[in-house]
This record gives sequence, C-alpha cells and structure tokens, in this order.
Amino acid sequence: TCVQCLGDGNTSLQKLATSIVFFFCLSDVSCNSVEQKIYVELNNTVPCVRLLNATHQIGCQSSISGDTGVIHVLESEEDLEWPLSKGPNPPYMVLLESSLFTRSIMMKMKNESNRVAGVAVVVPNTSPPEFSPHTTCPNENTGVYSDNYGPNLAHCNTTVWNPRGNGLSYEEFDFPVFSLKEDNETEFIKQCYLDHNRAVNGSAPQYPLCAMQLFSHMHAVTNTPTCMRRNDINFSINPEMVCDPLGDYNVWGSIRPYNDTVFGHKENESVVIAAARLDSRAFFWEVSTGAEGSVSGFVTLLAAAQALREVTHEAPPTRNILFAFFQGETFDYIGSSRMVYDMENGKFVIDLDNIHSVLEIGQVALHSGNNLFLHSDPVSRRNNTVNDVVKNLVNNLQSSTAGLGFLLVEPNVSQPLPPSSLQRFLRAQPIPGIVLADHESAFNNRYYESFYDNAANLNLTYPSDLSPEEQLEFVTHTAESLTDVATVVARALYKQAGGDESRVNTIKADPKIVTQMLYGFLVSSNNSWFQAVMAPELKNILKPSPPEYYVGVAMSSTPTRLVQYLLANLTGAATNLTQSQCQKPDELPNESRQMYSYLWVQGIVPPNSTERDSFCVRASVRLTKAVSPAFELGEYASKDYSTWTESRWKFIKARIFLVASRDLEMLTLGVGVAVLFTSLLVTYFISTKADVLFSSTREPASAAY
Amino acid sequence: MNLERLPNEEKLTLCRKYYFGGFAFLPFLWLVNVVWFFKEAFVKPTYTEQLQIKTYVKCSGLGFLLWVAVLTTWITIFQHFRAEWGEVGDYLSFTIPLGIP
Repeated sequence: TCVQCLGDGNTSLQKLATSIVFFFCLSDVSCNSVEQKIYVELNNTVPCVRLLNATHQIGCQSSISGDTGVIHVLESEEDLEWPLSKGPNPPYMVLLESSLFTRSIMMKMKNESNRVAGVAVVVPNTSPPEFSPHTTCPNENTGVYSDNYGPNLAHCNTTVWNPRGNGLSYEEFDFPVFSLKEDNETEFIKQCYLDHNRAVNGSAPQYPLCAMQLFSHMHAVTNTPTCMRRNDINFSINPEMVCDPLGDYNVWGSIRPYNDTVFGHKENESVVIAAARLDSRAFFWEVSTGAEGSVSGFVTLLAAAQALREVTHEAPPTRNILFAFFQGETFDYIGSSRMVYDMENGKFVIDLDNIHSVLEIGQVALHSGNNLFLHSDPVSRRNNTVNDVVKNLVNNLQSSTAGLGFLLVEPNVSQPLPPSSLQRFLRAQPIPGIVLADHESAFNNRYYESFYDNAANLNLTYPSDLSPEEQLEFVTHTAESLTDVATVVARALYKQAGGDESRVNTIKADPKIVTQMLYGFLVSSNNSWFQAVMAPELKNILKPSPPEYYVGVAMSSTPTRLVQYLLANLTGAATNLTQSQCQKPDELPNESRQMYSYLWVQGIVPPNSTERDSFCVRASVRLTKAVSPAFELGEYASKDYSTWTESRWKFIKARIFLVASRDLEMLTLGVGVAVLFTSLLVTYFISTKADVLFSSTREPASAAY
Repeated sequence: MNLERLPNEEKLTLCRKYYFGGFAFLPFLWLVNVVWFFKEAFVKPTYTEQLQIKTYVKCSGLGFLLWVAVLTTWITIFQHFRAEWGEVGDYLSFTIPLGIP
C-alpha cells in the first residue's frame, strides 16, 4: 500500500473513469488502474454475520452497496460523543481497540445507529483480562431445566455459569462489524485518520476525509421459519437460497463394534457413554479457537480412548463403552439432540434403554487448586436407582485418582448440571450421568466462546528455541495435567464398564500423544503427526494455524475430520490391506464394512525415503449426521430443538478511501448537468441558424455559374 | 400506421378491435385506443362513423382509469403490508428482496 495512491477522489465520477480505463487496461497489463489509486483494499478482516433461530435474528447487517463512514478512532467511552452527537460529518465508522469493545459502548452505538455506519474492532495479540461475548446462561432454553423440571434450577437461578458474559454475540446490529488484526493495514488506517480526520484546535476537520466502506450484506431476515420458507419458494423468477441450517457430523466409536445397519434397541446390551463436545464460536464469523471450551474436553477423551485400547483387547469389560464427540453443542445442542432423537426413533445402533450411564468431559484444563469437580443432576438423583448408579460412578472416579496428585470432588451445594450434552439425554429419560469439569460453580474460563480462548488461555508455552517439529514433541505442563485427567477418565470408564479390577492401575494415558494433540489443535494443524494420521485426499485441510471450531453449514468441518481419523488411529488396528482392498473390504473373508470402517491413511515418511508408508486402519469409528431434528421434521419454529441457521451472502470486503464533501459532489454534478443543457441549447441554436452560419462560402461558387 | 390514409370504416373497425381487445385484461390496449383515436374522435370535423368512435374512445378511457385505480390501490397496499403478511406475502411475491423483511 502506498500513501500517495490516495488522491482527491470524487467517487461518483471515478466509476465512469474506472470503466473507461478498464477497457484500456484490457490491452495494456501494466497500466495504473484508477481504482487502485483510490481504494485501498483491506485483506485481513473477519466480518460478523447474521444467524437466525426460531424467533430472532442476531449478528450484523450492512446495506447492499456497503456502508461508508468517516473513520473515527475511539479513544475512550466519553469520546463516543463525537460520532454519536457532536461530530459534523456523520455517519462515522468507529474504530475500536479491544479494551473498548464492551457491551455499553456497542449498545450506545446500536441506539444511535443512524450516525454510525459500522464498527471495526482491532484484535490484539495479547488477551484482555476477561472477555466473553456469550450469554451468562448458555443454552438456557434447550437444556433439561425448565418450569417442569427443576424450576428453581432453571435459567441459572442457582448458579450463573458464565458471569463474565456480556451477550454481545446474541445482539442484533444493523451496521456491519468487522475485526482487524494488529498489523500494517491497521497502522495505515490509523495514520490516515491522523492525517485527515483529526479536529485541529476545536474546529471541524476539513474535507477530504478518510473513510471506510464495509460490505457484508446478509440475505436472510427475521427468523428461521421465514428464511427456510423463502428457500423453498419455487414460484419466482430467480429462486435463491437465503440461509442454511448449522450442522456437521458427530463422531462416535466403541470398544466392541456395532453392526452399522442394525438399528434400535439391542437386547442385553448395556453401554457406558463417554461424551465431549467438538465446537465453539466467537463474535466474528468462523474465528473460534475454543481451547478451554472444547479442545480440553475432547483431547482428554481421545487420550482416554487410546489408554483403554490395550486393556480392553486383553480383558474386555462386561459393558461396552461408546465414545461420542458432539458437534454443534454451542448452538442449542445440535449434535446431542440429534443423537438422542435418533435413539428415540430407532435410527441409531443402540437406544436410550441400552444406556447404563454417561460420563461427560467438560472444560478441564484450568484446574487451579488441583481439584476437579463432578457435576450431577439433583432432580434425577431423587430416584433411588439413578442415585445409586451415580454414586457408583462417583466412587469409580474418585478411586481412580490414586497416586495422581489431585482429587475429584462433588460440589458442596445442590446445583444443576452445567451446560452439557448430558442435559439432552436427561430430557428424554432419567439417565445417571456425571459431568467432569474444573469449575465448581462459575466457569474458570475467562474467555468462554470468544476469540481469546486460545493456546495462551491454557498457558500452553513452548521454549522459544524449538523448531515446529520439536515443539510438536515437547511435553508441556498443560499436556501433563490433561494426561492425568485422561488417565482418571480411562480408569473410571473401565471400572464403570465392569472391567477387571486388577488391571485398572495399568491404564495410563500417554503424555506424548496428549501434547501432540494439543499442538495440532491449538498451534498448528499441519504437523507431521496429523499428516500421518489423515487420509491423502484430506491433507489440504491441514493448515499452519489451528483449525476453526465453528460448526458451520458446509458439513465439512476440520475438527470433525481430525477427531474421526485420530479416534480411528488411536483405538483401531492397522491392517495389511492394500488401498483397493481398503476401499472394498467386504470381498475379504474376515473383514466387514458393516462392523468397522476402513480408512486409508497417509502414514509417516520413513527416514531414508520420500514416499509415505500408507496403510489401512480398521476401526469401529463412525460419523452420524449432526443436523438439528427441527430441520428433519420441518418444525422450523420448534422450541424443543435447535433452529439455528446461518444467512448466505454474496461477497464480503472492506476498503478505505478519501471521501469529498457532499457540497463538492453536488457542485460537480450541477456543473455536469449545466454543461449538458448548455450543449443542448447551443446545438439547437446552431441547427436553426445553420443556413446563416454555413452558407456564406457557397454562394460565390454557385454564382460563378 | 398512419390513420390519414385509412377509409373511415376501417378506422371504426380498428377502434372497435382495440376496444374489445382491452377486455382481455389488457388495459394498455385501451390507453392506445384513447391516445391514437383522440384526434379522430374529438378534433376532426364530423363524419358518419365518428359518433361510434367517440363512444369507443370514451369507454376505453373509463376502463383504463378504472384499471389504474384498482392497480394503484393494490400495489400500494401490497408494498406497504407485504412484510407484515409473512407467509401470504411471500407466496404472492414474484421476487423477494434479500436482506430486508
């Protein structure tokens, strides 16, 4: 970018000039496009998009031709007076530092939104002391607690789980909000503001002023039933999809495989479910790192699954253990409500009566004081059978911590379950269950569902002199503490499933695997271990940054695929099958695609060669669709199921340029119109007096004859 | 078509065709009738067929004004209330604007 590329620009004339120069440019590649001289495109921006549910729309909307505003860098909350009332050149585009990105400032701007064209938030590399744009009571209407079930526990009356939540993610703004990184582009914007937009000695700043234009026009409006109806209308000149339901796939795997074609209740089958969630969100679209919110939970469960592999082959427990990773839990429990729905309607390999108990891993990485807490549901425990199973599970968990240096404690007061997938199971049937978490009441996570919930939140630090490969192998403190939690979980699951007591102490989770997973999920997913466990056709989803945990609408979320292949590699068996056999295993006598899934993975690169040692993994790991039952049933206004959809849009971009005063624009237009009329008049007069004006030279020629 | 060169009976049949054609939900035919035959009906000196042409032009004019009134009322109501009508509004629409209710 160059400062001198911004010249005096009158945007209305330049469009005409641009199109003329564009035709010239088609022939000459090296010309200087007028557009490049006016606009500076901002590339590293992330928008906030519109999401809809059964009754509301949340998020941000811009007008269809973008929102333009004079840039104002906000210095403090009192400085808001300038854009909202005192400033002479509305509308303003307000640039906020992250410390000013608070609820009170955003709500003040929302109320005066005719003077605010948009907001740009600069996201720093270091996190503020706390920030959570989520609500204080996550998923309060789709959990198990309601006016019929534990009414004094509903709506966070006893425990507020996310007290730092300011609810910004669930507000509706009718101006665009973009996020900028703290880099050269942002410095350039601030410099442009300092050069042109500052008021000197109390007088108004002179035109031309530095302005920013944000485009993020969302197609869907009002709520999900409206946008799904508009999706389906066929009687239209150009039918357009306006929104898509949020959803992806759940990953599940089991110790003993199930036949994937036989659904419904299985006689004499008793299953212990170990659950964790996969997804997370942030205020801005798709940037979600969910380190404490979701990664800590599912990494622990993956490590526990790996720890159980050997012992369950040698001494299989009586009950089966099913590992379930639910996607979409942030948005009213999409994945778990779908699995419960499938179980209730005989579309899953087991049903609710087959479930013996549930152990869910919640947020477990921030345990200060070295105690972890076992949350249970007090309402279902009033039933003695349920209470006995829960007490047994608590005992199994507490006795598994022997020699590990921390304790598992039940909370002191009778309080509800934190937001967890177990709540959806309880909605269907009273099932004994425990949620393991590092918080006794309110979350320890200061950045719940925000873009600051990253590796730094977990104190995941590596010594600075290590290469990426060495960082992958380095066992961090966080990894060690999560390994201990995984060991406890694995032992407790084995005991809960009726395994051989004498073998329990041999179960240990592997810290190397935990630290590699933490590196891959929180620092860089394109590392050698992840490359080795993924399929060749999926290696493009690995990037040098951590994956994004937003559930999305494309049904191709990276964390789901990574967890699927990791679970297969960690719990399954490597086979000798060739690649073609791996795709058609049914032709072989001992292999069956109904019982197992066969995945061809890349494998490692041996030291003296360049070819990968690919092989076929056989594992009882499956994907099941995690789209809310509301969309299967067509009940878009459902109060029981998640109805979240994401709007579609055409393009999203941001740019800055210098803008002239309205008076100058009108003057130029006026001059142009005047020139047009003058030329018309002149032409008319000339044509009426044409014989006088043009005939004087001809007469001598004709008179000569 | 230049009406000057047509004989009067043909002018009358043309006017009649346009008049009856307008009943097939084609108010623009009536507008054309009024504009085209206005001079013939009211400005030119009298001739035999002029009385009939006059009635046709007057009736076409009335019909066109009626259509204008009905359409303007319906369009105003629809544009104003389409968003509030929800489902009905969407099913009546040919193109639905994106991003606004």
